Amino acid sequence: MRAIDLQHLSKRLGQRLVLDDVSLSIAPGELFFLIGPSGCGKTTLLRHIAGFLVPDRGRIFFDQEEVTTWPPHRRETGMMFQNYALWPHLNVDANVAFGLQERHVPSAETRLRVEEALHQVQLGGLGQRRISELSGGQQQRVALARALVIRPRSLLLDEPLSNLDARLRLEMRLEIRRITKAFGLTAVYVTHDREEALSMADRMAVMKDGRLLQVGSPKDLYQHPNSLEVAAFIGEANCLSGQVLGATEDPMIYAVETPYGRLLARKPQEHWQPLPRTEVHLMLRPEAIRPGTPSPESNGFYGTLVETLYLGASVQYRVRLKDGVLIQWLVQHPRGDLRTEGESLWLDVDSTDLLMLED
Amino acid sequence: MKRFAGVLILLSVTLFMVFFFLLPLSGTFRMAFMGPQGGWTLDYLFEIFRNPLYLEGLLNALTIAVFSTLGCLFLAVPLALIFVRYEFIGKASLNGLLLVPLILPPFVGALGIQAMLGQAGALNSFLIAWGVLSVNAPIDWLGRGQLLGVILMNVLHLYPIVYLNLSGSLANIDPQWDDAANCLGCPPFRRFWRVTLPLAMPGLYAGCSIAFIWAFTELGVPLIFDVERVTSVQIFNAIKDLNNNPLPYALVVVLMGLTLLLFFGSRAFFRRDVAGGEGKATLGRALIPLTGWRGWLATGFFVAVVAVALVPHIGVLLMALSKDWYQTVLPDQWTVEPLKKALGHPLTLTAIGNSLRYAFLATMLDLVLGVAVAWLLVRTKLFGRSLVDGLTMMPLAVPGIVMAFGYLALSRSGQPLDWLMMGEDPLMLLVVAYAMRRLPYVVRSVTAGLQQIHPALEEAAESLGASPIRALWRVTFPLVMPSVLAGGLLAFAFAMLEVSDSMILAQRTLHFPITKAIYALAGALGDGPSLASALGLWAMLFLTITFVGTGAILGRKIGALFKV
Repeated sequence: MRAIDLQHLSKRLGQRLVLDDVSLSIAPGELFFLIGPSGCGKTTLLRHIAGFLVPDRGRIFFDQEEVTTWPPHRRETGMMFQNYALWPHLNVDANVAFGLQERHVPSAETRLRVEEALHQVQLGGLGQRRISELSGGQQQRVALARALVIRPRSLLLDEPLSNLDARLRLEMRLEIRRITKAFGLTAVYVTHDREEALSMADRMAVMKDGRLLQVGSPKDLYQHPNSLEVAAFIGEANCLSGQVLGATEDPMIYAVETPYGRLLARKPQEHWQPLPRTEVHLMLRPEAIRPGTPSPESNGFYGTLVETLYLGASVQYRVRLKDGVLIQWLVQHPRGDLRTEGESLWLDVDSTDLLMLED
Repeated sequence: MKRFAGVLILLSVTLFMVFFFLLPLSGTFRMAFMGPQGGWTLDYLFEIFRNPLYLEGLLNALTIAVFSTLGCLFLAVPLALIFVRYEFIGKASLNGLLLVPLILPPFVGALGIQAMLGQAGALNSFLIAWGVLSVNAPIDWLGRGQLLGVILMNVLHLYPIVYLNLSGSLANIDPQWDDAANCLGCPPFRRFWRVTLPLAMPGLYAGCSIAFIWAFTELGVPLIFDVERVTSVQIFNAIKDLNNNPLPYALVVVLMGLTLLLFFGSRAFFRRDVAGGEGKATLGRALIPLTGWRGWLATGFFVAVVAVALVPHIGVLLMALSKDWYQTVLPDQWTVEPLKKALGHPLTLTAIGNSLRYAFLATMLDLVLGVAVAWLLVRTKLFGRSLVDGLTMMPLAVPGIVMAFGYLALSRSGQPLDWLMMGEDPLMLLVVAYAMRRLPYVVRSVTAGLQQIHPALEEAAESLGASPIRALWRVTFPLVMPSVLAGGLLAFAFAMLEVSDSMILAQRTLHFPITKAIYALAGALGDGPSLASALGLWAMLFLTITFVGTGAILGRKIGALFKV
């Protein structure tokens, strides 16, 4: 276990600023995710931790020890590459044994540890196979065994599941999480798959244009995003706009004037005190919407149903609001008849589900 | 560290190319354009075009080149079309046999052709024996001035190059493009002209230009056929009085100029409407199995081409195994005497030793340079690496005889490279010359191999604790080995068979490499020709074993290595 501490990292590659003053602390034993659209700098950040890149500015610490300019082979980090990077000229055993040989581990012990590592990833008995004779999932496991057998102090994973089919991906998610926890590894995992991040991470960071937008637990980020960008990247998000009227008795709940009338919304951070007449966005998850009937207490609006997408476990409706804005409405476990297109209906929203975000 | 190594490679390779490539060329040019009292002159150049002998030589060279290329096309186009589209009996092994002529030295083959098709050769004897021909009026199959013989030998040696390039291009044509034309109502024959041929143009062009330039500047074959009035032979004969005569230099410049003109001129002409080359087939082509008489026709055609292509080599084999083979279909007396003698004769024995030495050293030089340049090109982003890329590819565009002549001119005493001629020993000169000719191929081969190795494979090693040097040694090196070996093998084989440099640069019997020894023996009286054939046979045998052996070692490994 090792704590990873990044302080003010900046990196320019060619004309592009690929890391822009990134600071981040990863706790020992944490499974930490870096997520963001392609080109956001998440892989670049990972390669700085691995040592393949040296930052222009800023410092990297492993457990208080500065390693900013250490070469990769001295960092004791296991790494899993996107295309596995298994060596085609070596068989499974030799691939896994490589790191131990570099450490001059006696051959008898090497044999034992390789066997044990392969056993842990459920590949016992396949040591003599050539890499080309393995399936994608098996190659994945060899790559994991190869990274783990050296008993690294941290594990870096660069989109390790992106080349697997959907079913295998689900299986490997659990497997990787189980193994990192069993080894007590500090792991940094890069992906652009939000489900992967939400389901596996202890904490995660959303990146964009070389900057960290927000860091937190999956639940935090999903429920309390501090910007529309984070909200939209982590899940489906509807966006309405309005003007702040003022706070209610509950200091976290504000009244907001919208084209659909007055709505109550929650602000994500305590310290933010929006003044009346401030332009704000209102973020609403599709699954937080309920059909209802209008009353003086209800928090909601009218809409016209324009499109139906039946998905089996759920139905996705598209609803047009008064001013022409389209929103998504997700109904889980639909029973009875589907609603008909063209139907006009009242939609209710809980004030805690309507998130007020800065413009 | 990496940067330092890169700069070091960049500087030393550039220096090497400047010294051993640009300097010899510029030396030749200087002699061709420098007047007797200093100053520049075009007189010598004009003299070449005024002299009827030189003009005839150029005309003959052009004739040989044009007809050799046409002959190659005549064989290669149907072969490639059938190979890419159809499945038939014996396809794989026949395809391999088609390439055999590539590894056999053409001017040894020329000896064989003379034995088979000469006036007193096997074919005439056969026809006379059957009463078709009169003993007193044998047919001269090789044509007036033996030009036909030269062309025939060139075609039989060079058609695999056109075939390989064309079938590579054809295999890259997406079958869907054909199908699309078909759906739009284009019948097969028109489809060939409107779709297949334009798309295969890059390969066809590449193959033809190599064959054309090769035939245009080939020295060994016309020498064996005693064709004097061809530019390459005229240059060869002129080296005896090199000291004060600027005309040979001018002739070399003219040959080089024409080569470049033809090369770039034809490229400009053909490239206008070449659209192919960008695409890569997305689907494998479903091969159409040919059954019944169609299948046998295809097999028969391949067998026939292979049989004809092997005629020269069969001729060499018979000559080497016979005593006084003359005016009979098959030799009267069989003997292994020449084969034994070829290994005991003082000239052949030293020649074999010399060739092995020259070729080995040249290959080593090529490998060191090739691996360094490939690493520089693929793994660094150093400014100026494209310059090195361009420099190392330049020997491709310069005919062997031009380079050889340049080396000879610059290594005479008092010239900048005279230190390469260690006393009388041309060892260093030949090693550099051989290496230079094959450097582009080695660089290409290793570069291609290195590009296949994803940098993540090296990074994986580093993340597991291997230093960059260790990663290079344990991961990159074993993976790139097949390409290095293939490039080295090619360099070695061609160095063993090099003609132009060997003919021109080795002056004394003591230093003759195999090719020049064969030439010397072929012209000798008595058992010379059969000894020459025997030596040629040994060379062929040796090369075949090298190729087959390495193919077997690599074949097993290559298959496993690249199935990632």
